[in-house]
Amino acid sequence: MTESGSDGRTVNAERQSALIDEQRRTISELETPVIQVWDGILALPIIGSLDTMRTQQMNENLLQAIVDTGSEIVILDITGVPLVDTAVAKHLLETVSAARLLGAEVLIVGMTKHIALTLVHLGLDLSGVTTRTTMAKGLQLAFGRLGLEVVRTRERQQVVDSPLSLDD
Amino acid sequence: MARFPVIRLGRLLIATVLEELRDSDAVDLREELSEALEKTGALGVLLDLSAVEMVDSFLGRLLGDVALCAQLLGAHTVVVGLRPAVAITLVELGLQLKGVHTALNPEKGSALLRSLIARDGHAKRPNGR
Repeated sequence: MTESGSDGRTVNAERQSALIDEQRRTISELETPVIQVWDGILALPIIGSLDTMRTQQMNENLLQAIVDTGSEIVILDITGVPLVDTAVAKHLLETVSAARLLGAEVLIVGMTKHIALTLVHLGLDLSGVTTRTTMAKGLQLAFGRLGLEVVRTRERQQVVDSPLSLDD
Repeated sequence: MARFPVIRLGRLLIATVLEELRDSDAVDLREELSEALEKTGALGVLLDLSAVEMVDSFLGRLLGDVALCAQLLGAHTVVVGLRPAVAITLVELGLQLKGVHTALNPEKGSALLRSLIARDGHAKRPNGR
């Protein structure tokens, strides 16, 4: 075995790679928050590209959140995913299957015309997955699945006059 | 030999696995459940796997088999209590338990079973038997 360069340089490189690893971990934690948007509904906004490591991290967080909150619906928002290719689609399907094993249904929202065309073009089968274009539509569907309904109780521009709702 | 009591509750069978399943135990489980289904004519099986911490491809396939047998015997299968790590392992093995319904806990599982049975058109009986 040959010593490459001085010891100082090796230590420096090690330190740098450790730093990069740490930053990657931090970023991946920041990037995949699991939000409880309603009782029984979790939302998972994904920003940036999905690689294997990130999907694993995301799956672990999500499944734990499903167990902790007893949620039945997960809304996976891919609005912030710049590119959906075969690998990304495979990762998304993994998440869908894993959540299903815990009894939760996954809705994928943030579908664009571009992504839909790509998926069809790639010949990927997402027939088992419910998809919608926007988070709002996904949420509406989720409410429907749970038997909930959103009702407007007063005119829109009306200022709240109930004493309870001001300070809460 | 692992213990898995099979309890009859109305039209449902509830099987709880109390410890890790070895291959031979899993085969026993399949046999025992099929026998119980045949004997009782139950319409649903609730399989609680919350004590199981390790799965392999054999066990994954066997769960599919259990569901298939149950279906042939006229019953739905709902697996409940899968741990997150177990779910991830199953997906990574490419076993998505396609014919098996899943729920988070026994409570949700039995609600799901009841709705599946109701969808089949079996009239609800007041005393649940």
